[in-house]
Amino acid sequence: MKTLVIGLGNPILTDDGVGVKVAYAVRDALASDGQDDVTVTEASVGGLRLMEMMVGYDRVILIDAIQTPGGRPGAIHRLTLDDVASAVPTQHSASTHDMNLPTALEMGRRLGLALPETIEIFAIEAKDVVTFGDTCTPTVAAAIPIVTEMVLQTLALAESATTR
Amino acid sequence: MKRITIDPITRLEGHGKIEIFLDEEGEVKNTHFVIPELRGFEVFCVGRPAEEMPRITNRICGVCPEAHHMAATKALDDLYHVEPPSAAKKLRELFYMAFYVTDHTTHFYALGGPDFVVGPDAPKYERNVLGVIAKVGLEIGSQVIACRKRNHEVIKMLGGRHIHPVAGLPGGWAKAMTKEERDEIEKIARENVEFAKFSIQIVNDVVLSNQAYVDMILSDAYTQPIYYMGLVDENNHVNFYDGEVRVVDPDGNEFCKYAPHEYTEHIAEHVEPWSYLKYPFLKKVGWKGFVPGKESGMYCATPLSRLNAADGIATPLAQAEYERFYETLGGKPVHHTLATHWARVIELLYAAERMLELVQDPEITDPNVRTIPTDTPTEGVGVVEAPRGTLTHHYVTDERGILTKVNLVVGTTNNYAPITLSIKKAASALIHKGTVITDGLLNKVEMAFRSYDPCFSCATHSLPGQMPLEVVVRDAEGNVVERLSQYI
Repeated sequence: MKTLVIGLGNPILTDDGVGVKVAYAVRDALASDGQDDVTVTEASVGGLRLMEMMVGYDRVILIDAIQTPGGRPGAIHRLTLDDVASAVPTQHSASTHDMNLPTALEMGRRLGLALPETIEIFAIEAKDVVTFGDTCTPTVAAAIPIVTEMVLQTLALAESATTR
Repeated sequence: MKRITIDPITRLEGHGKIEIFLDEEGEVKNTHFVIPELRGFEVFCVGRPAEEMPRITNRICGVCPEAHHMAATKALDDLYHVEPPSAAKKLRELFYMAFYVTDHTTHFYALGGPDFVVGPDAPKYERNVLGVIAKVGLEIGSQVIACRKRNHEVIKMLGGRHIHPVAGLPGGWAKAMTKEERDEIEKIARENVEFAKFSIQIVNDVVLSNQAYVDMILSDAYTQPIYYMGLVDENNHVNFYDGEVRVVDPDGNEFCKYAPHEYTEHIAEHVEPWSYLKYPFLKKVGWKGFVPGKESGMYCATPLSRLNAADGIATPLAQAEYERFYETLGGKPVHHTLATHWARVIELLYAAERMLELVQDPEITDPNVRTIPTDTPTEGVGVVEAPRGTLTHHYVTDERGILTKVNLVVGTTNNYAPITLSIKKAASALIHKGTVITDGLLNKVEMAFRSYDPCFSCATHSLPGQMPLEVVVRDAEGNVVERLSQYI
């Protein structure tokens, strides 16, 4: 199964870059594993550009920052595309310079583009997304190894399901 | 006092909020346009080597990394007192035109277009790119995606990476172009010209042939005579990559023309207590508040501004459109902000034609693309036209090239004051005592600023957990009497 892992966010905007940092950690872990059907990348905008990146993949895992009302920094949410469409877009899935991700995916499907069957989303509650800085705040940084492990496990489960 | 809030603005990058204050009579008393601001960019940069700036600043924002990369690279040329070889300048401009084609295409079809193609009063769930496809056909969606795809390839080929380019260096460009690359890009540039002509045709068929739209563009609600800014070449033609900054007054006469490093003599910033934003204005006219006219130092920097600030466009098809633009809209300058959408498509045509010219230039494959800097760095300013307005990067370093001072004036920032004025103008014209506040009506207020293609990702960023368009109407005691909301 051809899988794309995308870390979303701005790596120089404190907690906004948490998704990108998780993606780097996943890439480093996979490098020693030699899984060649998994591609790990980063992006900083959602919508159209994100949809275009997904073309040709069977499965996509997104990792992004999120801010929900009353959310606790460092909390980890597992979301589906339906969640993003209805109530809780992550920091970058609703980038409005182009369009939100669900609209972009709908457009891609109508145009007959080869889009993934499954899109899984890991969202990490951010504290500070308005101050420039290349490290996350401590509570958010603490979530990085945990989410990295969750993503790796998700990939491993998919791997064993395919071989079975 | 009644208060109407549009929060946040749909189809606008970053988190923005419009507040409309009504008086006891139900007339518009005032409007605020507020966005949160990013903090600490200068602190983040100071102490780093200046040569990292093209790669740092292109991270500020995911929408126009190419514009920041280019302004930073040009600021480094100035900082290290080095002149890039001619082929390097042409490669940079070629790269930049590919970026312009994608950016203007996205705005016209996905952001500005739905208001006209689907209609300003259409149900909100149809006023998006899916509505455009439903109305004009799937083929148009495929064309937009194909246009973006082929130009992203050019950006990768020339800039070294898909999203955050790395090829800009002080004194030139990291790699020369091969003949194979040239042939491929020439083919792409030809397709771009055809696509731009097709887009002009859409403006004709959908907007200009519909009298109701033309009346709306020309109406007082969307008209404000102010100063206009844009980069021009030695013939006063529109230029996105290089030149001098020219400002014309509301009558269209040249007010000033200055080299990038002189910007601090011409531009100052005003601060308001209710907003984090700084409002740039023309120093030599002065800040007179959010008012239009020759006595007010407000200026704007948009596609419309660039056409107004220039005497013409250097490519033939875009020049013909430029002339038709002013003939149709009653002469120069044009003060109708909704005409900015048409101006943007004329710029799309120029970018496509210029791309073809550059790629056909025999010098474009010249291997000499770098002048190695040898001078001690001091201070540098780089200016380009970002799609959303004049973009200025200003760096000061010590003798080792370590940054000691950084200042950026980003595209949309130039337009904060005129956007605020446009919202007030539209709201005052559309909302009166007894007016029923409908979704379509508020969309028409939004259209006033959407024409600026505002993007606050580099000035601000924070998206909230939700992206509704929420409108709250409060009575004089602050009670909610009406609430409208939508999800984009």
